Amino acid sequence: MTAGPSRGRRYVMLLVFLCGFSVIVFRLVTLQVLQAAELTAKADRQHQKTVSFEGARGTVSDRHGKVLAMNVEVPSVFGVPTSLESPATVARHLSPVLHIRTGELEKKLRQDKSFVWLARKLEPEQGRRLEQMSLDGIGVVMEGRRFYPKGPLLAHVLGFSGMDGQGLEGLERRYDSQLHGEKRVTVLQRDALGRTVFPKGVTEQVPTPGHALTLTIDEVIQYIAEKELEEAVFHARAKSGTIIVMEPQTGAILAMAVSPRFDPNVVAKLTPDRWRNRALTDTYEPGSTMKVVVAAAALEEKVMTPGTMVFGENGHMVIANTTIHDHEKLGWITFSEVIQKSSNIGAAKTGMALGEQRLYRYLQGFGFGQRTEIDLPGEVSGLLKAPKDWGRRSVASISMGQEVGVTALQMVSALSTLANGGVMMRPYVVSEIRDAKGHVLKEVLPQVKRRVVSPDTAWMMTTMMEGVVTNGTGAKAAIPGFRVAGKTGTAQKIDPRTGAYSSTQFVGSFVGYVPAESPRLAMIVVIDEPQGEAWGGTVAAPVFRRVGEQVLNYLGVSREDTVKIALAAREN
Amino acid sequence: MKTLTIIAGVMLVFVFVWERVDVVRLGYQIERSKSQKILLERERDQLQVKVSSLAAPERIAKLATEKLGLVPPQQGQVLMVHQSGSAPGLARPSSEPVRLARHMAAGGVNE
Repeated sequence: MTAGPSRGRRYVMLLVFLCGFSVIVFRLVTLQVLQAAELTAKADRQHQKTVSFEGARGTVSDRHGKVLAMNVEVPSVFGVPTSLESPATVARHLSPVLHIRTGELEKKLRQDKSFVWLARKLEPEQGRRLEQMSLDGIGVVMEGRRFYPKGPLLAHVLGFSGMDGQGLEGLERRYDSQLHGEKRVTVLQRDALGRTVFPKGVTEQVPTPGHALTLTIDEVIQYIAEKELEEAVFHARAKSGTIIVMEPQTGAILAMAVSPRFDPNVVAKLTPDRWRNRALTDTYEPGSTMKVVVAAAALEEKVMTPGTMVFGENGHMVIANTTIHDHEKLGWITFSEVIQKSSNIGAAKTGMALGEQRLYRYLQGFGFGQRTEIDLPGEVSGLLKAPKDWGRRSVASISMGQEVGVTALQMVSALSTLANGGVMMRPYVVSEIRDAKGHVLKEVLPQVKRRVVSPDTAWMMTTMMEGVVTNGTGAKAAIPGFRVAGKTGTAQKIDPRTGAYSSTQFVGSFVGYVPAESPRLAMIVVIDEPQGEAWGGTVAAPVFRRVGEQVLNYLGVSREDTVKIALAAREN
Repeated sequence: MKTLTIIAGVMLVFVFVWERVDVVRLGYQIERSKSQKILLERERDQLQVKVSSLAAPERIAKLATEKLGLVPPQQGQVLMVHQSGSAPGLARPSSEPVRLARHMAAGGVNE
């Protein structure tokens, strides 16, 4: 027995083991120390799933809780082009379900990307069909889609939200920070099969949905206003139209209709011209409706009384080298008749009796030249120049509703002030903000802006404006059984080509309130560029009557001639 | 005594393992329930949108006029009748008034 070879083999074996062990130690150090951070992250990526949850966007409802806008989760489909073997075949399968041309889909699927959206926010049925097809490299995820279940109803006020749920127009934009849901990222564990494992010891927090808005709008009144406006604009072959219905005592907007309408569910191919809320973004020269404001100022300043006699100059009067005409040759008439007959000369004389400063002060007092501060985006302040910029004819022109630009909202707000006994209220459309559990976070209360004229002046104006409807230019606004106070307006538009007043383009309007003795509604109807007869008393006053009558019926407001019938059985 | 201790130990191990397995099983069950809840909520929202669009005044009016042949009441065909004691008219009505549709041709009053 020799020790040499045996010892040699032992050394060899030891060396082999040492080498092997060293390799293992080296590998362990590499994995556990040098690459520890990188590999830990890799492992986490494999067994952890990061999910981003976003709370649903809040609903918008009318004053009776009827849903006008809400979110629903709908399927969106994406592709993973890098994992597709035959994009052409997949595109052919998807095309009939997504209603997108095969070529277009194939082009998207041939991109050198690991993720591409094929179609977003589809109908639920399309999502079910896609899931049944279970195509490799094609996935379906759920996303919140904004639905406006009433279609075009109130679209100009509601506005709409974008593909990623951000408010883009109208209330959706103005109240975006309240409406959008909370975004939360949660890390979940998943098993070897990719299933989510309930995280032990973690209390999962569901993201909070956005807040819900309750509006002052009544969807039935809104429908009545939109229906009648559409019909009026169609029959007058007008360019557009606006109706605003307001509650004089609170400033709450009951309806705000704009024609032409649009469907906020389908806005992709529309231009801003279609969706802008003309009731507060467009200004027009109001024409004779402005005479009401001038008359109220004259009564308040005791420059005039309803019985003051005014000479109508037999239909024409020269001011600053220009002639002002009336549509009929008037002699001596009372101040009430100036309003009833809508005399331009009478209004000009009233304005001149007031003087520049007082006229300007009352125009400002009634809210012209400044925003009404309604809670809607895009409102303009209109056009009211300071007296230092007025010309020699300006007092007369402004008194007739020229040289001044107003929005329909400003005008109805001014008339509403008279309906409310001379106190101006801030118009508003959102009455309540609630959280997802229904708790009231904010209740919007009617807000007084200022007193503009005394109750006596307001009452005198009401009586004078009743005369407009009973004996004057606004006869077609009369609602049988109710006392209506209002004023017609017909204004020539400025022709942008000539810079002068157009002889073919007019704005016909009627603004008023009913019942005159205890107003429930203040309303303005504006018809822009009616063809044919363009008088406010012809195109707008009948719309006021139709809307007013239906709304008063709906609200259960009694006619003057209501028969009192005792329902004894009910009492018992 | 020693045997009993061993048995108790083994039992404890089993209980521990069973508890761990049950936690995982319940975890999966919770996940399934949550998925079901989400599906049901989704369906509820879809139905709510459907109900809202079906109840749109425009649609109701169209059905009433085109399918049922109804017409909006004409001027003077609607009268508000108030219970005795409540003054009709000027102030906001305190109680819900009763609507009566007066048939113009017959001149009678039908509820």
